[in-house]
Amino acid sequence: MATVEERVKAVTAQVLKLSEEEINNEDNFTADLGAESVQSIELVAMFEEEFGIEMDEDAALAVETVGTAIEFITNVCKEQGVDLEG
Amino acid sequence: MNKTKKRHHLVDAKKPNLLEETFPHDLPPLIRLGGPVIEYIDGEPVEFDFGAIKDRQIVITDTTFRDGQQARPPYTIEQMVHIYDLLSRLSGPNGVIRQTEFFLYTKNDRETLERCQGLGHKYPECTGWIRAVKGDFRLVQEAGLKETGMLTSCSDYHIFQKLKFRSRKECMDSYCEVVDAAFESGVRPRCHLEDITRADIEGFVLPFVERLMEMSRQVPEEQSAKIRLCDTMGFGISYPGAELPRSIPKLIYKLNRQCGVPSSRLEWHGHNDFHKVHTNGGTAWLYGCDAVNTTLFGFGERTGNPPLEGAIIEYIALKGDLCGIDTLVITELADYMRSIGLPIPDNYPFAGRAFNTTRAGIHAGGLRQDERIYNIFDTEKLLARSPRVAITDKSGADGVAHWVNEFFGLKGDERINKIKVHRLARWVIDQYDVEGRLTAISDQELEAKAREFFPDCWEKYIEGQK
Repeated sequence: MATVEERVKAVTAQVLKLSEEEINNEDNFTADLGAESVQSIELVAMFEEEFGIEMDEDAALAVETVGTAIEFITNVCKEQGVDLEG
Repeated sequence: MNKTKKRHHLVDAKKPNLLEETFPHDLPPLIRLGGPVIEYIDGEPVEFDFGAIKDRQIVITDTTFRDGQQARPPYTIEQMVHIYDLLSRLSGPNGVIRQTEFFLYTKNDRETLERCQGLGHKYPECTGWIRAVKGDFRLVQEAGLKETGMLTSCSDYHIFQKLKFRSRKECMDSYCEVVDAAFESGVRPRCHLEDITRADIEGFVLPFVERLMEMSRQVPEEQSAKIRLCDTMGFGISYPGAELPRSIPKLIYKLNRQCGVPSSRLEWHGHNDFHKVHTNGGTAWLYGCDAVNTTLFGFGERTGNPPLEGAIIEYIALKGDLCGIDTLVITELADYMRSIGLPIPDNYPFAGRAFNTTRAGIHAGGLRQDERIYNIFDTEKLLARSPRVAITDKSGADGVAHWVNEFFGLKGDERINKIKVHRLARWVIDQYDVEGRLTAISDQELEAKAREFFPDCWEKYIEGQK
């Protein structure tokens, strides 16, 4: 099964219309990957759908980089009992 | 060297100070006045106590059916009776809207008055409006009115150029004859000093008013002449230091304290030719006129009169209390006026369809966090109009979320966050970026999309409508 990092990058690529290879963990969603306001909302919505989780709106939108998003989502999955290993 | 007069130090705080003593939100923001205010008149400092306004018996008067009708095709009798009924409800039991005036010349005028009187409302009291012609008092008497306005124009533009009097004395004598006729008929005359802000105050206005005061001593107080200061062309100036004849403070001072006309017999009637009409009305109140004459939504000759609903909000702000006024009727009146074809601009304060609608996403974000950030007062409570957002490419997901929550009437935990509206927000953005749209998105279009994207909420909404 794909890792959290691969799944986050796949969603990011799909929403921002990029190829997964272009996306690095240090990339800032807005400054480096060009996410516009509504795309930030779409990213959060798509992460929720992909991982089957509910994220706090303000906290999720405060996440700036791909690497931080991976960490953040991993923690939310743990808190909400979502199995990432299966 | 630039010397500062006083140092100001940061007062740090961990909790916000929302200045609620001035911005209570469940009332319009209060106008808190200190005093005294000094105006130099005839070279002498004169004191005005604005703080006294809270205890003074100030009132609003209405001329929607007279000046208001001079700016539009006539209302039908039914329409006027309905508007009068609503004015009475708005006014409340204390008679904040104290009087309204009617034409008396046609059969329809007289039937309208009779039907309004037939409603049995104490306020607004019905008064008349006639030319300064002795024979017209018969109409006032027949209508059973105790008071009537009459034209007593006072600038030389009117005295000589319009009315063709040969001298000011001839003019004054003629006016006084009509005032005498009013007294004889048992009718209280309300002398409309037309064009006062362009008149010779010392040379004509004050001598005329002094004569009216002398004449009034011969009749009971309730019949004594009232003075309406008519700023016919909107030339009145509220600023301290302005000179006569345009200075509202000086005009009122001269009539009130030099000629001795009590505040209860002074009324201001303004026009909006220089965008000053509402503030000039408030100024008249503060400097000593107890009555400010208004029309609904400011409709009146040319640029209009002080808007009645604006005066209502000002009244509450000055008094710090609703004083029995039913502010919700403002919205009923606006809806009714629109239904009979009176155009109220969408951004018109307190009554336009979009007066509390924001188009900026960042403002919608503020509204979502705390309504008070971008709503002038509790418009839902006072006007049955909750703040809204109009959806454009500038609205953002915050604006879309606010619209969805307001539309479905979702409160507290039920409210949908902006993550959940991402599909609708995307559709909105694509309307502009992909489809090249240039107009705001209508509520009807949004409703259709809300049904598509939020089927559960839609179902509950439809159930609630049944």
